[in-house]
Amino acid sequence: MNNELHARAERLIAQERVEEIATAEREWLTKHLDECAPCAAVAASTEQALASLRGVSVDLPRGLASRTQMRVRMRADELREHAPGKKILWAICAVSWGLGVATAPWVWHGFEWLGQHTGVPKPIWEAGFVLWWALPALFAAGVVLLEKTGEQQNI
Amino acid sequence: MMDDDTKELVRGLKRRDPELLDRLIEQYQHRLFRYLVHLTGNRERAEDFFQETWVRVLERGHQYEGKWKFETWLFAISRNLVIDWQRRKKPASLDELMEPREDSTPFEPAMAAEESPLAQAIQRESECDVQISMKQLPVIYREVLLLRFQEEMGLEEIAVVMSTPLSTVKSRLYRGLEELRKSMTEARA
Repeated sequence: MNNELHARAERLIAQERVEEIATAEREWLTKHLDECAPCAAVAASTEQALASLRGVSVDLPRGLASRTQMRVRMRADELREHAPGKKILWAICAVSWGLGVATAPWVWHGFEWLGQHTGVPKPIWEAGFVLWWALPALFAAGVVLLEKTGEQQNI
Repeated sequence: MMDDDTKELVRGLKRRDPELLDRLIEQYQHRLFRYLVHLTGNRERAEDFFQETWVRVLERGHQYEGKWKFETWLFAISRNLVIDWQRRKKPASLDELMEPREDSTPFEPAMAAEESPLAQAIQRESECDVQISMKQLPVIYREVLLLRFQEEMGLEEIAVVMSTPLSTVKSRLYRGLEELRKSMTEARA
């Protein structure tokens, strides 16, 4: 038998365990292993190595699960304590936005008056008004983005 | 399409359901701890990472979307924690992570309680061989072998856990398997 056949057999022995091999290849491999003692030895030692690897178990430290459960619950309590802070932040944003909507006509006139008296072009003071009105939303979006970025980095 | 169990899991993690977390800790304790022991080579360190992983699961549970099996996500979290710790420590190489500290309890495999003394002796000898052989393997091969043949993860799942392309996972598996087989054959000879 030539070296190419042995190399093919060795490749298929590994491939069979790592991923799938085609039925025709499996049949060829079975036949080859029946006829070739060195390749059969490779197949046997591969299987033995994997059986040993699968058989290794590790003793769990005593009370690991209960200690972990306790720690997780303590952390959950901490997180719950911090949750009202976020609620307040959102409430402030909502109130601020509400006030912004309610006072928009007066603020618009204010910007208009300021623009006329200082000679600022209309698009500029209009942009200023939009920015003022959007500030709470921008602030809230910034907070959310910061939180999301932090979470992504921590995973 | 998510099955009902996965949907329930996603919802439970989102609302940080303490009972669900308790159950998950119980359910995955053996697999996660074994993975961490192999990854860090040290039981005390593995225990720290074990706890840290579950705290992270609590904190980031809302990010689990059920796209992959829960254990894939769980192992990815624990692996990232180990890598972050490793980066902060900045050792000479990743393999240094696997060297047990002198002051720590060495990693010893457990025996199945119901096995006969002879079976235990054979099993212990075999486990010693595989431990020695695994220790000689570079960490990149060792980890992929553990995930595939101990944790029985699919190739794509391993790629997710390791944040590595599928082709890299496959090539590491082939190389690792070959190295392990040779190393164990030599150890037995």
